[in-house]
Amino acid sequence: MGSPAIGKVRIEEIIGEDPALVRLIYKYLVWATVWLIFATALGLLLSLKLSYPDLLDFSFTSYGRVRPIHTNALFWGWTSMAMVALCLFVVPRTSRTQLHSLTLARVALWMWNVAVAAGTVALAMGINNGDQEYREYVWPIMAIFAAGMLVHLYNFLCTVREREIEEIYISNWYIIAALIWTTTLVTVGYLPWYQHGLAQANIQGYYMHQGVGMWFTPVVLGLTYYFLPKFLNRPIYSYSLGVLAFWTQLVFYTLIGAHHFIFSAIPWWIQTIAIVFSVGMMVPVWAGTGNFILTMRGKWRTIGRSYSLPFILAGAVCYGLVSTQGTFESFRWTNLYWHFTNFTIGHSHFTMYGFVAFLIWGGVYGLLPRLTGREPSIVAVGVHFWFSMIGMGIYVVALSIGGTIQGTDWVRLRPFIDSVTDMAPYWLWRSVGGTLMFLSHVIFAYNLYKMRPRALGEATPEVARA
Amino acid sequence: MNFHVNPRLLFGTAFGVFVILTLMIAVLPAIQIQQTPATPGLEPLSERAARGRDIYVREGCSYCHSQQVRPLPQDELFGRPSAPGDYVYETPQLLGTARTGPDLSNIGNRQPSDLWHLIHLYNPRALVQGSVMPAYWWYFRKKDRADADDVVVPVPGSSAPKGKVVVATPEALALVEYLHSLKQPPLEVPASGEEQGEASKQ
Repeated sequence: MGSPAIGKVRIEEIIGEDPALVRLIYKYLVWATVWLIFATALGLLLSLKLSYPDLLDFSFTSYGRVRPIHTNALFWGWTSMAMVALCLFVVPRTSRTQLHSLTLARVALWMWNVAVAAGTVALAMGINNGDQEYREYVWPIMAIFAAGMLVHLYNFLCTVREREIEEIYISNWYIIAALIWTTTLVTVGYLPWYQHGLAQANIQGYYMHQGVGMWFTPVVLGLTYYFLPKFLNRPIYSYSLGVLAFWTQLVFYTLIGAHHFIFSAIPWWIQTIAIVFSVGMMVPVWAGTGNFILTMRGKWRTIGRSYSLPFILAGAVCYGLVSTQGTFESFRWTNLYWHFTNFTIGHSHFTMYGFVAFLIWGGVYGLLPRLTGREPSIVAVGVHFWFSMIGMGIYVVALSIGGTIQGTDWVRLRPFIDSVTDMAPYWLWRSVGGTLMFLSHVIFAYNLYKMRPRALGEATPEVARA
Repeated sequence: MNFHVNPRLLFGTAFGVFVILTLMIAVLPAIQIQQTPATPGLEPLSERAARGRDIYVREGCSYCHSQQVRPLPQDELFGRPSAPGDYVYETPQLLGTARTGPDLSNIGNRQPSDLWHLIHLYNPRALVQGSVMPAYWWYFRKKDRADADDVVVPVPGSSAPKGKVVVATPEALALVEYLHSLKQPPLEVPASGEEQGEASKQ
């Protein structure tokens, strides 16, 4: 097999990793993919409901209940589990040691699965923590999830402490710090004492923003600081830029949550700080994106012949683009048009999909065949890539145009319902893009199956020759 | 003192900086905001309206309906700019981040009809053509005949079930009472929000 017409290379090495760890990584990825398919099927349902509001109109499938199920299952189910699956390899590898404890990692997977499953059922029943994005799970459920994060934090910290190399590699800076920041974030987000009335909205801005930017962003960046040099077989362009991006991410990103509440009753100075540091975010963003692109320079042929690197290239480019878009969205004058519109929804999918999910897929397609010796069909990986890419493109472009029309309708003081009916074609296009995205996930699941680890006792495959 | 080799120093610093910034930008301002007195004339929710608010939260209404009026011309139809004191009785907060549907900060004044809300909740498209709001039919009962103490919902046209009457459940009535309670008390002095509005127009 291997289609010579496409000219993709096969894996060049098989990493002789502990089979128990390989199976655990695979288990994480399987569960992540279960949540991915479940949650994106719901995403598609939500999208269709805006065109056909009476579709599946049961209470537990109504728009307001399914929306948080969709977002939370993708955050805490798919993305978190898939990222950690890769961390389980990267943290020990870059520390030149073994994972501190396989058992702890196994336990944490079940804590996360229990939390996401319980959260899903509770939300379907209408039990939530207020309609507050990404903290909709009630606290006993989120506590299980946070405990799972602490288990990972402990496990990775011990792994790094047991490292057999002097320096702590930059990937581990990002991954372990992200676990520290996010457990802190969840604690701050759920403690009730300072969260009455408008005060809670201030915490909400802080929480919802960093739920993305202090968890998903640093972890996938940390993973990419390992995978990109590894798959390209050349060092990262600038290690120092990675360090600069780390500290500026910490200082700038923490301060910008209130840009989700521009022109609200939240104190004006907090909004202004959020806008100023949203501009500051261009430093870590372009330090990161630039670093990745410069690492890839002159290696375009290698990238073209790989089936994992195109995902990483796409993810790195999306990171720069979507974050720049985010900075532009934070200004007061852009808020006049874009705030409250579907433009924001396009932006959030551009982030969680184009940036985060693509980097994860790049890591999975690059790593897993090296661990299991089994490769997916190159055609199927290509179909996954292009369905995801084109689907997301349609999705984001449709909502960006539609959202701008929505905002313009309001500025022009048109009757409110016009901003709803004007969205109709764009919501339909969003469903078209969403369908492609969903199909690509089914193909990913198939590819994941093709890359499954060998059963115990099964012969190790001969190393493929490129 | 080397971040590259000392995990305690590296991660301790990352944690410490994050906690300090968190206190500065999130927690301490929140404590300060919490001291804001209620806007004069703002009433705490009645018991039934509070139950209605729980339903509003349960159904995720604020994913599409904001409750924050900005000091901008395009928001004038929704009411006056929201002031911090408007939210004193609002926990969990329902400011929202999207307006797929209109803002509801002042809906009690803008649409005072209980019957309108009941019909609209039962089937939004019976009243607003082109609406994409879900129909909350599970807060209503279809009966052959209404009893004496039933609140009958006069659903118009083809949305009405044939040969049956639609009756509001106590939950539907509680939700409508909550919507009815969403009234912005007038501000005597210009709020800081209005000054901001002037600034933004320039």
